[in-house]
Parts: sequence; C-alpha cells; structure tokens
Amino acid sequence: MMDIWTQLLQGFATAGTPVNLLWAFVGCALGTAVGVLPGIGPATAVAMLLPITAKVEATASMIFFAGIYYGAMYGGSTTSILLNTPGETASMVTAMEGNKMAKSGRAGAALATSAIGSFVAGTIATVLVTLFAPVVAEFAVKLGPPEYFMLMLLAFTTVSAVLGQSTVRGLTALFVGLAAGLVGMDQITGQARYTGGVPELLDGVEIVLVAVGLFAVAEALHAVLFEGKVDESENRMSRVTMTRSDWRRSIPAWLRGTAIGAPFGCIPAGGTEIPTFLSYATEKKLAKGSHKDEFGKQGAIEGVAGPEAANNATVTAALIPLLTLGIPTSNTTAILLGAFQNYGIQPGPQLFTSSSTLVWALIASLYIGNVMLLVLNLPLIGLWVKLLKVPKPQLYAGILIFATVGAYGMRQSAFDLFLLYAIGVLGLVMRRFNFPTAPVLVGMILGPLAEAQLRNAMSIGEGSAMVFLQRPMSLTLIIIVAAILVLPRLLKKRTSALA
Amino acid sequence: MRPHPPPSSSLHLQTAVGLGVLFLALGLGLGALTIPSDAGYAGVGPNFLPWVVTIALLLCGLTMVYHARQGGFRHMEEASGVQPYWPGFVWMSAGLLANAALITTIGFIFSCTLCFVMAARGLRMAEGRTPAGLKSWVTDLITGLLIAAPVYWMFTQFLAINLPGLTQSGWL
Repeated sequence: MMDIWTQLLQGFATAGTPVNLLWAFVGCALGTAVGVLPGIGPATAVAMLLPITAKVEATASMIFFAGIYYGAMYGGSTTSILLNTPGETASMVTAMEGNKMAKSGRAGAALATSAIGSFVAGTIATVLVTLFAPVVAEFAVKLGPPEYFMLMLLAFTTVSAVLGQSTVRGLTALFVGLAAGLVGMDQITGQARYTGGVPELLDGVEIVLVAVGLFAVAEALHAVLFEGKVDESENRMSRVTMTRSDWRRSIPAWLRGTAIGAPFGCIPAGGTEIPTFLSYATEKKLAKGSHKDEFGKQGAIEGVAGPEAANNATVTAALIPLLTLGIPTSNTTAILLGAFQNYGIQPGPQLFTSSSTLVWALIASLYIGNVMLLVLNLPLIGLWVKLLKVPKPQLYAGILIFATVGAYGMRQSAFDLFLLYAIGVLGLVMRRFNFPTAPVLVGMILGPLAEAQLRNAMSIGEGSAMVFLQRPMSLTLIIIVAAILVLPRLLKKRTSALA
Repeated sequence: MRPHPPPSSSLHLQTAVGLGVLFLALGLGLGALTIPSDAGYAGVGPNFLPWVVTIALLLCGLTMVYHARQGGFRHMEEASGVQPYWPGFVWMSAGLLANAALITTIGFIFSCTLCFVMAARGLRMAEGRTPAGLKSWVTDLITGLLIAAPVYWMFTQFLAINLPGLTQSGWL
C-alpha cells in the first residue's frame, strides 16, 4: 500500500512538470474538441497524431494521448445532448434522455450532470486503476504463454462475436484484421509473409494507415455519399447549473453508473454499449413517481447522469487490461497499444517494473486531466458549443488534411496515401453493411502477439495442444470463451421458445 | 420476420460483399501455399495462422453469400433509404487521389489545399446548395490554405516530422 502511494507521488512529480502539464492540457482540450466535432473521434485523433511518437518523448506523448482518450468522452456528451442526430454508440444512451431534457429547456442541467458525473466516475475509476493495476500486474507475471493466448482469444471473442449486431460480420472484421496483421515478417522464424516482394511491407501494414483510413477517410466518404441531405438541428443552450433536486437525483445515479461501468472496463470485454445501457435500464427501473414519468418525455436527469458515469468509468478502467496484460478492447485502446509499441514498449505485467516512471506518470495524469476537463467542460462549455457550428463541407475536408499528415508523416511515402484511399473505400463498404471496425484494429494489433503466444505455448506442450487443457487457469479461460459463445444463443432460444 | 424485405438491388450488393470476402480468402489461401510449414518444437509453423484465417474467411464469406440469397444479412440497421450521391463521391475521391499523386511535387501545403477544395466542393454539392460563381471557390481555397499551412509548420517546425515541401525551406 505504502509502495503504491510513494510511486503515485512520484508519478505526480513527473506528470506535474510544466511541459507534461502542458501536454495533458493540450490533450484534454483536443480530446474535448474531437469529442464535440461530429465525424471524428478519439481513435481517429490519436491515430492521426501517432507520427509524433518519432520525436516526442514517451511519457509526454502517452500523457497527451490519454488526455485525448478521455477528453473525447466529455466532449461526446455535449454533442449528443445538443445535436438532434445520434452520434457514436457510447453517447447514444446519453442522447436519449439528454436530448429530451434539452428540448424541454434543460440543456444546461443535462450538460452539468454529465460533466460532473464524468468527473466523479473518472476519478473513482482512476483510484481503482491505481489500486488494482499493480495487483493485477503482479498476478499476471505468473501467467504463461498458454494463459496469455487464451486471454487474447477471450478479447477476440468478446470484441467480434458478442458486441456487434451480427456474429458473422464481427468475425469477418476480426479475420480481416488478423489477415492485415499477418503481412510482414513472422515474429518467431523471420519468415516473410504476404509481402509480395515489396520491401516496405516487411515491417507490416502501418496501424495509422488502417485506423485513419477506416475512420477518417471512410467517414468523409460516407458523409459525401449519404449524409448531404441530413438535416441537423441544434437544441437551445440554457444556463449550465443544477438545482438542489438535480443534485439529489444525480449523485446516486453517478455512483451506480460508476459501479456498473468500472467492472466492465476491467474485464477484457471492451465496449461501452453494455454498461451504459445497463445503467440506463437500472435508473429507469429505480425511478419513482413523477421522476419515472419524465423518462422518455421531458427527459429524466438520472438517465443522463448514470450512463454518462458508466461510460467514463468503463473507459478509464479499460486501462487496467491494457496496461497490465497488454490487451486492448476498443479502437482507441488498440491504437494506444500501437503507440506503446512505437516506443518499443510492450504493455504487460513487466510494464510496472520496466517502465514504472511512465506508468505512474500516466496514472497521475489521469487525476490531473479529470480536473482539467471539469474546468474545460463546465465554465468554458460555451466555447465548445461553438464548434457545432462548423459547416460540414469544411469540417470533413479539413479532417482529410489531418488524415494526410498522419498517413504520410509515419513513413514519408506517397504510396501510403493511395493505400489510405483504398482502405477508406473498404471502410465505407464496411460502414454501409454494418461491419464493426473495432475487431479489425484489435485483430491487426493483437494478432501477431497472439500468434507468438500460441506458438510459444505449443512449444511448452512439445507440439501438443493439450497444454491448453492441462493448466487450470487456461482451462478456465477456455470454458469462459465457450460460455460467451454458447450461452447468449441458448438464452435466446429459450426466450423465443417461451414467447 | 422483417416487415419490409430489402430491395433486390441491396441484396445483390450484399452478395457482392460476401463474394469479396470469399475472394480475399482465396487470395490468402494462395499466399499461404508459399509459406513454409517448418514448425520446430511448436507443432505449428508460420503457415498455421494464415490457414486459420483463410478457412475462417471462407466460412464467413460463404455464410454471407447464403444470407444475402436468403433474404439479406441478419440484424441490419434500418437502411436510411438515402440514394448515394455519386458526383460528390467522385469530387472527394479525385481530391484524395490528386493529393497522393502530387504531394511530393507541389508540396504538402498546395497539395492538401487542392484536396480540401475538391472535397469541400463535393460536400457542398451533396448538400444541394452549390453557390454559383467564384466566391465559394475562393472561400474554400483560403480556408484550405489557412488549415494546411499552419498544420505544415506545426509538424515540420515544432515536431520535426518530415512532410514534403515545394522548397527545402521548411516553410513552403
């Protein structure tokens, strides 16, 4: 315990230097901006800025990226409350009640409860990261290749088969990502695979290219093809303040949202959809009397406070599996893993010993960033609302300029820009036919690591796959993976049989 | 069952997507043939995962083609029914490809400005209000320059990231 405390204080000392504070601030501000702006999210923003890893020191850039990562969660709620068009899934639940509140003239209260709720949940979840990440890391050191492989298999399963609307499309996306990850030199034997004799491909396909193509370029192409005539209307702002009764109704909702969201972040199951929906359902169920009637009509403040807190708690707690096991469970955490790899750092249990300064500075910066974001999003909210006025043509055309920086800046090759366009078209097709994108990125980044673990595990078992069944921990994980795949189907069959 | 079956044109497109996945799988399979299987102690060699991916994508592709022929992909979100606006798409694509072709010769700032102007043109047309005359072109040109130039300076001067310029000065 004392150990954690001293390390955290050291983290604050590192994160508190003027330069690092500036990086955190710029990250939070940029994150809020990309969260507010439709058409660009934290994953795209971090991916476009990945080239800076070539020059900026590791701690500073990780603090910067982390700021973008959770700053976007604050900004996203502003858009979903004020704009009458549904945005990304994470803020969809907030939009349901938040939009109703804004329509009945309570936009300010909705914005306030989501900003303060995000702060409360983010801070509590950061405390959890502080306390539990070192413990998990200590435990994870004992895991061998078979267990790691099974954990990664678990992440693949949840990301592709459980979270999307269709298992087939989720799995297709995952395997397309795994295929992209295959390109390049095999980690164990050095054998070149799928390079077609092109020397640039020996290093593999750049993450930046895939991420920026799939998100930014595909988003712009989708906008020009299908969204030209979509009418966006904006809700009127009101004073950002909460009444005494708003507070009384929000506080328990924040705490419940945090309690629901944090565990979901900790397990390698990713995604904020389930916890936010769960929190919304809980709040609706617990509401009584006139408050219950507000749901879906004038908008109930609990329905904004709970899901918003759940969202932030999940996103923050998702750093635990990322930092301690090296397992990303969302688009953005997958790209953060890519950023670590650019520095030659492999997140995992050793991270807390080998790069302890970096990790603790990063954790300290989460506390600092949350305070910064509260200030950025409460008194200064009017500034961000102005971003919603940026006309769409200029917005998307501008995003393409930044996409060029990211794609070209990584390898200085004009060929990459053609490839970027091709990936953008692929992303457009995926978007049109409802393929999820997270499995592509997670598959591409985690695939090579999982393959190495698989082959190491098989070597331990002297070429026999029985090694996965003989070790209790790995056997347990197999059972969990199987349960995740089978149980929802059985339940569905039963409910449809009963109905 | 679904109240409104999707139009047959979208079913053809869905079949095409499934076939695309099948072709990808076949390509991966052909590639996997050339990868040696030397497994060492592990029992699985460098060609193991390529084969797993190939077979999985084959199965996914087949399932998608089957679904598309049997009434469409499962659990699709309500299609918005919006007709795609191809002229806008062509403008934006041309902008992106011109950017890729020209960036090393005319430099980042001008190439990106060109891409910005063309993409913005496509988006304006998609919105159905194309202001005639020079004014909107000039506005876009200036806006493009005002975004591209500071971005270029920020990345080349402060972050020391190599972006191509028209001159070697690092400012243009």
